[in-house]
Amino acid sequence: MVRVNGVALHVQTLTPAAPPAERTAVLVHGLASDTMASWYFTLAYPLVELGFRVLLLDLRGHGRSERPAYGYALDDFVDDLDALLVSHGGPGPYHLFGNSFGGTIAYAYAVRHPDRVAGIVAVESSPPTAAWFARLRRRLAELAAAVSEPRALATVGARRGARGAQRARDAGRLLAETTLRAELSAAVPPDPARFAAIGCPVLCLYGERSHVAELAGETRRLLPQARTQVFAGQKHSLLIDRPDEVRSAVTSWLREQIHLGG
Amino acid sequence: MPVDTATVITDVTAMLRAVLGDVGPEDPITAGSTFRDDLGMESIDVVALAGRLQARYGAGVNLAQFVATLDPASVGGLRVGQLVDHIVVSLNERDRNVADGLLP
Repeated sequence: MVRVNGVALHVQTLTPAAPPAERTAVLVHGLASDTMASWYFTLAYPLVELGFRVLLLDLRGHGRSERPAYGYALDDFVDDLDALLVSHGGPGPYHLFGNSFGGTIAYAYAVRHPDRVAGIVAVESSPPTAAWFARLRRRLAELAAAVSEPRALATVGARRGARGAQRARDAGRLLAETTLRAELSAAVPPDPARFAAIGCPVLCLYGERSHVAELAGETRRLLPQARTQVFAGQKHSLLIDRPDEVRSAVTSWLREQIHLGG
Repeated sequence: MPVDTATVITDVTAMLRAVLGDVGPEDPITAGSTFRDDLGMESIDVVALAGRLQARYGAGVNLAQFVATLDPASVGGLRVGQLVDHIVVSLNERDRNVADGLLP
């Protein structure tokens, strides 16, 4: 556990056996029921094989990290990432990988520290725009309604056992007992002009059947360098459902961007 | 000297108890216990276990690498004994390489 900004975060690091890694990849997961596990079991080890040192974190309130009662604005998540990279990130610049809201945190970090970011891979994500926050508001409201239903927990318990039910209850508590939903619902997106600060290469991956793909056009307007790839028939859970295809897209893009060997 | 399987089982059992905390299983953890059905582990618990393995045995026993060879859906069906076997094989291989002068 690493303590940043007064909150204990669950952090894991994976390093190649040899030679020492010259690059660090930072993997950031999405909101509510997501944890670093979605990256750990999909892209973490392939990135180590490509020679990256890989840093993963459970966001505040998520996974095995501490769940404070408040402090869930986008800037709070970016502050945590910022502090973690100062203490555990190594020299940088970093390759930031974000799944869903994790990508939003990556974009916001890059706006703050453009010189510290070498590349962004955003899976089913968007920069912090008005349209994205509107979607987030709707999804958080739906999720809050779902987890407040006692029957839902019983269903999870039957399917995933006591610990699965506990995790579902944790996600419920994040929505019921913290200000996450209120803070993110009240978010005011930054001035779009600020995204011009991001000069690094960007890869955006979407599922064809996900509504997030509808935001691809706006992302390209804000970040004209963004490369977009849409995966036929896929949903918002693209990373979990199609790890091999995501891995292959990321690997070819990385080879092209940073001329990895092999 | 070859790695002692019984010691690894003891180590791994202690790590599992630490990861699972208060909601760990009441029954004893054995080589036949499955991660999901018997121990009730969620994927994030497996990650936490992997971190402890790395701290205890070094990066050579890479659970992410081991798991990468499995279908993600079968991580839950993994038995404690399979993980122990993987650790024992990895440690013995590392010791052999050191003895042969291949590492570090």
